[in-house]
Amino acid sequence: MTQYIIRRLIHSVIIVWGCATLVFFLIRAIPGDPVIQMLGPEYTPEAAEAMRHKLGLDESVITQYFRWLGNILQGDLGSSITGAETVRGAILSGLPKTMSITLLAFLIATLIAVPTGVLAALRRNSFADFAVSLVAFVGVSMPSFWFGIILILIFSVQLNWLPSLGYASFTEDGAWEWLKHLILPSLAIGAGYSAILMRFVRAGLLEALSSDYIRTARSKGLSERRVVIIHGLRNSLIPVVTVAGIQVALLLSGTVVIETVFSIRGIGRILVGAIFDKDYPMVQGTILLITVIFVLANLVVDITYTLLDPRIKYG
Amino acid sequence: MTERIDWSALSGPHVSRRTLLTLAMASGAVGYAARLNGAWATSRLPTRLQDVPQGGTLRLGMGITDIPTLDPAQETTGIIAGEILSNIFSGLVQFDSELGIIPDLAEDWTISDDGLVYTFTLRSALTFHNGDPLTASDLIYTYERTTDPEFASPHANKLQLITDIAAPDDTTLIITQSAPYAPFLATACSRGPGRALNPIPKTVIDEIGNEGFGRTPVGCGPFKVVPDSVELASGLELVAFEDWYGGRPPLDSIEISVIPEVSSRLSAMESGDIDMLDIVPAIGVDRLAANDQFTIVEAPGTNWWGLRMNLTRPPWDNPDARMAVARAIDRADFNEKAFLGKVVECVGPIAPAFGWVYQDPETVTSPQAYNLEQAKQLAEKAGLADAKPKLMLQSDDPRPAENLRNQLAEIGLDVELDLVNTTAYFERWDAGDYDMNITGSVVDADPDDNVWNYFYSEGPWNTHGYSNPEVDELLVAERTTSDQEERAAIFQQIQTIAQQDAPFAFLYHEPDRTAFISSVQGYVPIPEQRYLETIWLEGE
Repeated sequence: MTQYIIRRLIHSVIIVWGCATLVFFLIRAIPGDPVIQMLGPEYTPEAAEAMRHKLGLDESVITQYFRWLGNILQGDLGSSITGAETVRGAILSGLPKTMSITLLAFLIATLIAVPTGVLAALRRNSFADFAVSLVAFVGVSMPSFWFGIILILIFSVQLNWLPSLGYASFTEDGAWEWLKHLILPSLAIGAGYSAILMRFVRAGLLEALSSDYIRTARSKGLSERRVVIIHGLRNSLIPVVTVAGIQVALLLSGTVVIETVFSIRGIGRILVGAIFDKDYPMVQGTILLITVIFVLANLVVDITYTLLDPRIKYG
Repeated sequence: MTERIDWSALSGPHVSRRTLLTLAMASGAVGYAARLNGAWATSRLPTRLQDVPQGGTLRLGMGITDIPTLDPAQETTGIIAGEILSNIFSGLVQFDSELGIIPDLAEDWTISDDGLVYTFTLRSALTFHNGDPLTASDLIYTYERTTDPEFASPHANKLQLITDIAAPDDTTLIITQSAPYAPFLATACSRGPGRALNPIPKTVIDEIGNEGFGRTPVGCGPFKVVPDSVELASGLELVAFEDWYGGRPPLDSIEISVIPEVSSRLSAMESGDIDMLDIVPAIGVDRLAANDQFTIVEAPGTNWWGLRMNLTRPPWDNPDARMAVARAIDRADFNEKAFLGKVVECVGPIAPAFGWVYQDPETVTSPQAYNLEQAKQLAEKAGLADAKPKLMLQSDDPRPAENLRNQLAEIGLDVELDLVNTTAYFERWDAGDYDMNITGSVVDADPDDNVWNYFYSEGPWNTHGYSNPEVDELLVAERTTSDQEERAAIFQQIQTIAQQDAPFAFLYHEPDRTAFISSVQGYVPIPEQRYLETIWLEGE
């Protein structure tokens, strides 16, 4: 197992390097000159030339690439070319926000998806199954930004219960303030996610419940509760965990829109803003981070398989 | 055009306010302004700030996507300079409600007869936020920093005429230029737009560097930055500067939040998460006005927008083709459909905020006025039937472009919308790689800012190939004439020629609207600026 993890980590480094390199050249292939955009109304050819020189953008792309790679290996992600921020600073300020939203959304989604999925599977073709499926369809089809705006109108504007914007730090502002600012954005993306997850829980559990081992468990006289939770649910979780792993990455990208709606500057908004501004170092740094998270999430998923199903072994 | 050598008109401490108002009345601009809002006529800083309730926090929501930097010499976004930096940094001079020039750090100034030497007298005992004294030598350092090629400030060009800068004593600053340049005070020395010379403390730069200064600047304005609060692109907190020369501002602090999404800004106002919305978008005006908890204050904008046609490409090399387009646009329909009726018809590149030169559209007959029949005749004469021009636009709001496309179909033009991303848009904008685009000017301190840039043959934004020697001559004259009355006449002459030559079909001006909850008091509107030291909160 340890050997497997080490091997996977080595593969991961290669994948991350490949992605980072691809992004480095792709972002430069997109039409548009960041210096011209940055100067905006103050543009003159002389000012643009001076700024290009200052930012090192007048050097060849290959020189820029190796300098960037060398800096990365020393742990230096560089500085934004369009603003006064360091990439590291932006990531350190954005990551807790995005992770908080993502994890809470994941929690909300799981808390909704597992019980409703189990209910729908156990009462197959009943009214409950139909109702849960209908809600799930609505959840999947509903754009998160629209749902976010609706949540703001109800819970912030009408009821005045929760703030409509911003983020509060857990350590500085306290747990309640932190949670208050996270509930609406997390719910906005968690709802759609729970709908997808719920469909997998339902399908997985239905398949598991029709298996021979379930019949055996029932014939041994185990309680229905034990049959469903220990034997049925656990065995139905492999596809659910697979989907969850992929969805964590999707949740990260889902936060892009929701961070804009709720005026929270997490990783998503940093990345999108940087792409629009062609802020090369910021795009490279944030995508590097997202790649690392994606690769690690996949690794965690693979390891979780072994916990769920002891028959799976890596070596 | 003869050059007037009456530079005393621009000497301080109040520049030509009387002249400006007289001219504004003559042109009907005051009537226009008075219709907009009673607060518009209020002069600045009349209130004794210590007599109003002290304390409290103003939560200000701003409609921007991020704050690239807080260094005035590097910031290129006019809104950030006018709304945030103008509260952290002072200029030598500042603006009053009519964009007249009044003292800021300099309590007085004189300009030599030849218009080349500016002598500023600074207030005594000025300090930076960190307690360091602010003297004339700090302005010299600031000049050297802004013009340092290695620093690459985008505002260095505003100081390019300076040949000498000297500080004979702590409160005297003498700036010598190689040629007279009438907009110098407004564009290079003012609080907000004139950020090239907003004083920067050398000791702080030595300590934290230019990059650090962009995040946690030390200024000398009425509010200072709370360093730990700064999260560029999310917001920051400012607190009252106790030792500001004008006295401590009534507010304890200002919390600035960046709110990129329009609907989120309006909801934040309605849910009570912010007390002030910096700019009310057209779609939010009726929504907020319907709520009696809010006050919307409106000032005339310094902006204008037009449909630009590239004269280097057919069919726009033909003046008839351009005039056909200009006359085919029903501005009232455009206003209604693209902006819900919330903008003001525009007849030329002089914005309503410049009361001393602006002409009310109702008093001016423009050759570009809507006349579909004439437009059709001109289109036929110019052979526009087969033309398929592309209208280049960014992706933010396609409605204005879509409305124009529909209107221009009436004269047989098949306009294709050419939607491109922001960086590509600006690159093509600067390279002149477009048939048409909607462009104009946003935050200006003087009409020269953009009229020169768009209409001078070699103007930096003139990528559409417009060249008229008469306009060039008038523009040079406007820059070298000190008499505002004469400058106004020159600008109006330029506007008349621009209407006739029609490199632009002039479209609209957007009024400068800001909204507050009703407990916010004392705000004095200055077009496109948000000077917040006069604000107090009722009930504090």
